[in-house]
Amino acid sequence: MKSLSSIMTVVLVLVMLVGLSAAGFAQEVELEFFQNKREAVETFDKLIEKFEEENPNIDIEQNHVPEAETVLKSRLAKNNIPDIMGLGGNFTYGQIADAGILKNFDQASYLSNTQTAYQEMLQDLHEGSTNYGVPYTANANTVLYNKDKFEELGLDIPQTWDEFIETAETIQENDGTPFYLTFKDAWTIMVPWNFLAANLHGENFIEERTENETTFKSRYEEVSEKLYKLLDYGQDDVFGFGYDQGNQAFANGESFMYIQGVWAINPILESNPDLNLGAFAMPVVNDAEENMLVSGVDTVLTMNKNTDHPEAAEKFIQFLLEEENAQFYIDEQMTFSAVENVFQEDPTVVDLKTYFESGKIAPFPDHYYPSGMQVPNLIQGFLHEGDVEEFLNTLDSEWNKVQSR
Amino acid sequence: MKKTSSIFYWMTIPAFILFFVFHTLPALQGIFYSFTDYIGFGDYGFVGFRNFINLLNDGRAFDAYIFTFKFAIVSTIIVNILSLLIALGLNAKIKFKDTFRAIYFVPYMLSILVVGYIFNHIFTFIVPEIGRNLGIDILSKNILGNMDLAWVGVVILAVWNSSGFNTLLYLSGLQTVPDELYEVAKIDGAGKWDQFKHITFPLIAPFFTINIVISMRGFLMVFDHIMALTQGGPGRATESITLLIYNGGFMGGEFAYQTANAVVFLIVVLSISLFQIKVLQKREVDY
Repeated sequence: MKSLSSIMTVVLVLVMLVGLSAAGFAQEVELEFFQNKREAVETFDKLIEKFEEENPNIDIEQNHVPEAETVLKSRLAKNNIPDIMGLGGNFTYGQIADAGILKNFDQASYLSNTQTAYQEMLQDLHEGSTNYGVPYTANANTVLYNKDKFEELGLDIPQTWDEFIETAETIQENDGTPFYLTFKDAWTIMVPWNFLAANLHGENFIEERTENETTFKSRYEEVSEKLYKLLDYGQDDVFGFGYDQGNQAFANGESFMYIQGVWAINPILESNPDLNLGAFAMPVVNDAEENMLVSGVDTVLTMNKNTDHPEAAEKFIQFLLEEENAQFYIDEQMTFSAVENVFQEDPTVVDLKTYFESGKIAPFPDHYYPSGMQVPNLIQGFLHEGDVEEFLNTLDSEWNKVQSR
Repeated sequence: MKKTSSIFYWMTIPAFILFFVFHTLPALQGIFYSFTDYIGFGDYGFVGFRNFINLLNDGRAFDAYIFTFKFAIVSTIIVNILSLLIALGLNAKIKFKDTFRAIYFVPYMLSILVVGYIFNHIFTFIVPEIGRNLGIDILSKNILGNMDLAWVGVVILAVWNSSGFNTLLYLSGLQTVPDELYEVAKIDGAGKWDQFKHITFPLIAPFFTINIVISMRGFLMVFDHIMALTQGGPGRATESITLLIYNGGFMGGEFAYQTANAVVFLIVVLSISLFQIKVLQKREVDY
């Protein structure tokens, strides 16, 4: 018996050794995929699962944290850069691109399968015209509206600013609340602000402001006045409620309209799946043909140029950009695709499709304001005090101050 | 000369190394970065005192200092009055003393962020409901959305949260006062107020000093409370220095500039604490 047990031991040890070396030979590549969208975690998990099935020796670890941009910046400070990243196409992305740590995608074949409008939006965020990322999805600012309530009063989608205000007044006359405003959360003010600014601040505002050839004071008066006007049509205590409460209230039918991005559609439908809602672009000017939809890069895919496994990382980015997978992503996330020939067909956002087809799309103006200015809080302060002139002066002086640092 | 046992070095040196590596070194690094134009990553160059000069002309930083001091002074006063009263009550011979103590200490153990969200709910829904029922106009709206009142909401959360800890310190102070002194005072015919004024308060003066210094320092650093309640809003009405440093430094890409701000703030907090200790210790007595 004794000899048997010792043989068993030897066999066991041998089996373990062989097992270990086999695992070593398979050489599993581990990659970190850092992305900033909480609501997209599950969708990405599904895509990663599919990818890992096709590529059994690549292991993608998705990493999502709250306040992802801040976390990423502090990780960059420690030179601890994720292999693959999915980021918002905003000022922060531009800063990271300028820091020279992202791969140059100019020669990548898959880049040409994405819409050039979005590539250009990304290029404008940093210096030079190199592509440091591939646009993946696009989002849009909208006015969400309750279709059933609109029908009750026989209202149509307003096409001009005057009609927009008229609609709001008709709703008020019928004892309804036109908008549920969530201005306790300063960032939610940026949704109507971006519509107004993109349509009204004129050509090349950001470039000219940077060169000190123009000022907020000379270009933003109408923007501020129209934004201030919206306060007349909000619910009671517009500064008392935030984004979550706004989604809840609109889902419960407390207001006719709700000015938010398409990203709010899923949370709203989650709290009330029966809500019959639609989306239209906020009409800002009185010539309906001129009106533009504000749309920006929701997710830009990029990678660390010094990653240990560049081929594997690139493979994953290419996989996400395949038409089938891009379609899967936008269907789940109710966003729009930056990949050519992939369209969002959901009936909720069907009224926005014409803007995409005709290319009447403007980038988010606030993505080009230096984030050190904290424009949302400045606007929130202005809406409390209501002094347009003082507000515009503050915007100009804050811009100058931040630029001079 | 008697040789000192090496065991004492073993007790102090490891802690010193840890403290130096994880505390002193980063602080020195911060001071170093405050003289650069570093944005948190990538390359940087030296800019001399430019960050500090810009700071002097920064109205936003000035407003943040005003708010921080207003908040810290008001909260310190309220917390200390409240916790001294609670401590006096708990030190008396009352029933359920230990239960009360535990209950008062619970808020201090809870995470401010979690409690902050509960208070957010209270200020958003419950207080306005009460305000409407009582017909008080100013309470019928969310006070956190009111530029003039939002800071009161932050003070309420801060006081509720930290009173338990200060109560505990005062309690331990009260237990150092010998009972004989009160008996003697009673024989001399001193009333309750005279006893407090001439015996209790002077004898717990060291605890008063430490309580004032600790709470003032803590409230000057206020961050979580604001993060959970207002994020600095409405406008910039509740932006504290720490919040400004965080917002500007990490979110706004002004790492070096806000590090300079942090260096200035460090000096300010340090001087205030030293000043307080100096002034308050003068009036401590020893019977």
